[in-house]
Amino acid sequence: MDKEKKYFHALQVKTEKCVACMKCVRVCPTQALRIRNGKVALDEDRCIDCGRCLSACQFGALLPWSDKLDIIKNKKYKVAVLSSSYAGQFSEHISYATAKKALLQIGFDEVIEESMVTELFGMMLHKYLQNSPEIRPVLSSSCPAVVRLIQVRFPSLLPNLLHLESPRSIVAMYYRQKLIKEKKLAAEDIGIYLIVPCIAQVTAVHQPEGKFSNLEDGAISIQNVFGEALEVLKQAVQDKRPMDIHTRGLGWAISRNAASDLEENKIKTLSVCGIPNVIEVLLKIENQQIDHYDYIVLDSCTVGCVGGVLNIENPFIAASRIRHIMNKEEAASFESQEILDMFEKGKFGVEQLEGRSIMKLSSDIKSALEKMKRIHQINAELPGLDCSACGSPTCITLAEDIVEGKSTIEDCVVLLRKKMRPKNNTK
Amino acid sequence: MAEYWYFNEAFAEEASSYFLERPEPVIVMDFTIGERDFVNAGNASSQIKMALKRLGVDHDILRRIAIASYEAEINETAHARGGEITGNIYPEFVVIKFYDKGPGMKDIEQSMVPGFSTADEQVREMGFGAGLGLPNIKKNVDVLHIDSEEGGRTLLEFMIFFRKKS
Repeated sequence: MDKEKKYFHALQVKTEKCVACMKCVRVCPTQALRIRNGKVALDEDRCIDCGRCLSACQFGALLPWSDKLDIIKNKKYKVAVLSSSYAGQFSEHISYATAKKALLQIGFDEVIEESMVTELFGMMLHKYLQNSPEIRPVLSSSCPAVVRLIQVRFPSLLPNLLHLESPRSIVAMYYRQKLIKEKKLAAEDIGIYLIVPCIAQVTAVHQPEGKFSNLEDGAISIQNVFGEALEVLKQAVQDKRPMDIHTRGLGWAISRNAASDLEENKIKTLSVCGIPNVIEVLLKIENQQIDHYDYIVLDSCTVGCVGGVLNIENPFIAASRIRHIMNKEEAASFESQEILDMFEKGKFGVEQLEGRSIMKLSSDIKSALEKMKRIHQINAELPGLDCSACGSPTCITLAEDIVEGKSTIEDCVVLLRKKMRPKNNTK
Repeated sequence: MAEYWYFNEAFAEEASSYFLERPEPVIVMDFTIGERDFVNAGNASSQIKMALKRLGVDHDILRRIAIASYEAEINETAHARGGEITGNIYPEFVVIKFYDKGPGMKDIEQSMVPGFSTADEQVREMGFGAGLGLPNIKKNVDVLHIDSEEGGRTLLEFMIFFRKKS
């Protein structure tokens, strides 16, 4: 495989738009971005698709990528699997059922929700924890950016990941089977599309980790359907077809809610959101400096999935709307022995993921130590301002880039300025 | 003046010659620790651990280093008046030194007994001072050396090898 195409990422780099403002370079939690020759460059091995750079870029040089709505035309029977954060995108005057029906109006044959299976998922998790008492804490694997973060920065914690498909994939698997059986549809005629709040989920669909097969046919962003949904709202309101809404599980789009639902099952949980917090907590878990937890929910985005970059609404407002829907609107119940049977048969199991550490400086300790020594020496010469004007996020990363032969000390603007004005320095 | 030594048999010979010669480390990492600075307590340990992780030290060994150094760093914050921490990195092992500003230990052997503690109420209320610190450090290291005197400063240093016990 071509080295450059080793990892798919759901973002587009438009170098011609880049003005080298350094904003993206500074916010990247895995130091995957640099400015080289005045333009942004992405290190595909390091990127975890968290999307922080997309929010930072104001010049259109980094843009999200997701499937366009058109792709659903390729299939005869089209099913949308909604991320729970979709419910938080519409104003309070539009009911959730109407927002769902709008998707029927724009071409989907059926609209289902990841929130359908949260209760069942809680039961499966409970069993999973009982079956693996030696692994604690178990870490949630629903957020694909967190899974990749663990692969690149915390590979020693890979065994702790929940080796179970996420609720959205469980819904997709179950539904495909159901359609084949009940509607007598041919497998190739069915299109199952996730409506997603973030690029990490787009990447997870197009380059799944640990899955035995591709479960979904595409990932369309909430932003890509929102405009079209608004245009057909009138028709959606007049649409008298029944539409169930599974409101109880919608709360899983909000960081704390998944954990508190699970606590009802006597599972001791912790929930953490936002990449800096997630990194801090993973460090504590790695050092065994954390209280006892059975299960830790980790979300890359602020407030949870409602904070994903492909949403429309502010995460706090979306969270408030979701809570409102959960309190006011009646929840349809969803029970499925079939899903539990599929779980018992191991259908939702995933492979143990492999680490792909970006941490190691070299393959053996001795040469790594020599490299580190040179990094420390160069770093001691650098001003320590972490201004990123050189194109690397911090002084220490510039030192690393110099040792790796990717930058030179002349890239440091502050040192260069000192050299240009020798008189000011010799006072 | 009292001294305490513990050697893991598997590395005793190699370790003894190290402590006689004390060769120059390849990398030195220095830190200053403030008294009762619980907010920053643990930073030195995590930075040393991060460096070792980048060198590619095995994660089981990293975990032992992290546990022992965190414990010792908390001791310096909670039970002493702060001090210094130095991480000395060699190709085969790490030696981490914790040199505090006192008040020193009355009886090192007694402090090695699980459950013995001199911590005051304020420290215990914060969840520290259960009397498991030193025994826990000993459990995770290959060499432990403590040099202390009541009323004076304490030096605690430990050594951990990067290869597994053969």
